[in-house]
Amino acid sequence: MPQLNPEFFASQLFWLVITFVFLFIFLWRISLPRINSVQTKRENKIKEDIKKAKQLQAEAEDIQEQINKQLDQAKSDSAVLIKSAFTKLQDESSKKLEELDKNLSTKIDATYETIEKNKSESMSQIYEQINDITKLMISKISNIQVNDEEIKMAVEKIRQKVIN
Amino acid sequence: MASSGEHSGHEKHSPLDQFEINPLVNFEVGGVNLAFTNSSVSMVITVLFITLFLTLTVNPRSIVPSRMQLISELCYNFIAQLLNDTVGDQGKRYFPFVFSIFMFVLIGNMVGMIPYQFTFTSHIIVTFALATVVFIGVTILGFVNHGIRFFTFFYIPGVPFYMHPLLIPIEVISYLSRPISLSVRLFANMLAGHTLLKVFAGFVVSMPFFTGVLPLTFIVALTGLEILIAFLQAYVFAILTCLYINDAYHLH
Repeated sequence: MPQLNPEFFASQLFWLVITFVFLFIFLWRISLPRINSVQTKRENKIKEDIKKAKQLQAEAEDIQEQINKQLDQAKSDSAVLIKSAFTKLQDESSKKLEELDKNLSTKIDATYETIEKNKSESMSQIYEQINDITKLMISKISNIQVNDEEIKMAVEKIRQKVIN
Repeated sequence: MASSGEHSGHEKHSPLDQFEINPLVNFEVGGVNLAFTNSSVSMVITVLFITLFLTLTVNPRSIVPSRMQLISELCYNFIAQLLNDTVGDQGKRYFPFVFSIFMFVLIGNMVGMIPYQFTFTSHIIVTFALATVVFIGVTILGFVNHGIRFFTFFYIPGVPFYMHPLLIPIEVISYLSRPISLSVRLFANMLAGHTLLKVFAGFVVSMPFFTGVLPLTFIVALTGLEILIAFLQAYVFAILTCLYINDAYHLH
């Protein structure tokens, strides 16, 4: 078995010491500090980023709160505005309606009066004509001379009868 | 795993040939042979790979790591986590050492999985040297931390007094055999795995016709297993180092 041949023990130990000591010192002094510094740097960066993110989140929450506040304010403001506008409109329209009612009723009254007047006027004209026609018929049918008063009375009598 | 070329010809190959050490550049210091061998080549490749990989993939300015950098950081975090879990805060001082041990053994094993590459972790002298460094370091650490009270490590509290004459020698022996168990575990795993692969490779050649495909599939499966074992043994070596460091801080 070559492992038990002491011929090269010294050589193997010699080169083992040289290579391993070189490796140890190189790793100890150069490689491991480099890796360590990279990782520390990364850790710091992550911590910093997390801190920044938390800060930004807090800011965002503040802004959101402000927005909410302003929205609430705007909502209540608009509600008040709507309410006032509504009442104002209601008042105005009721006033206008009242005015219109008044106007209409005066007009109706005036018209009613005119109609009444016209009616009585036309009625009296109709009576007059009836009297005239009656007088004319009587004078044509018979030779009886009747004066206006008598005709008027008779027509009135018949009219009463018809109405009743 | 295989370095059979030099001795080949039509002689019989031993599956252990792959562990033969071949000097590439001979030189001696004070009569001691310190030749640069194929084992040294693997060690140099391993160290160069680790140092270059960990240096070139890590860009110190990159907040978002590249894929390769993630691998480096994964190794870093893996061992840091391991040390933190087993030892706790005091373990941070030994992180470079444990990390070096882990990476050295891991990449050494992996380099050994490349065909025609030598596996230096399959030599008991190498693993024993590593384990001895851990053992001596941990023992010194224990005495530095606890002084003479470190010997109470062998005294198990809560055991009937008449058991101590039996238990204390057992504890001492188990403590002293730590470097052996640590080194033999790694060495034997590497030795067995690579030998097994070589034996099956021999079957592929010697079997007639298509039956050689069968051992070939075994080799493919075993190679996967060996890669797993290469990682596992490096992990075991690292975690046991951590546990020993922990023992040096916390006696029973």
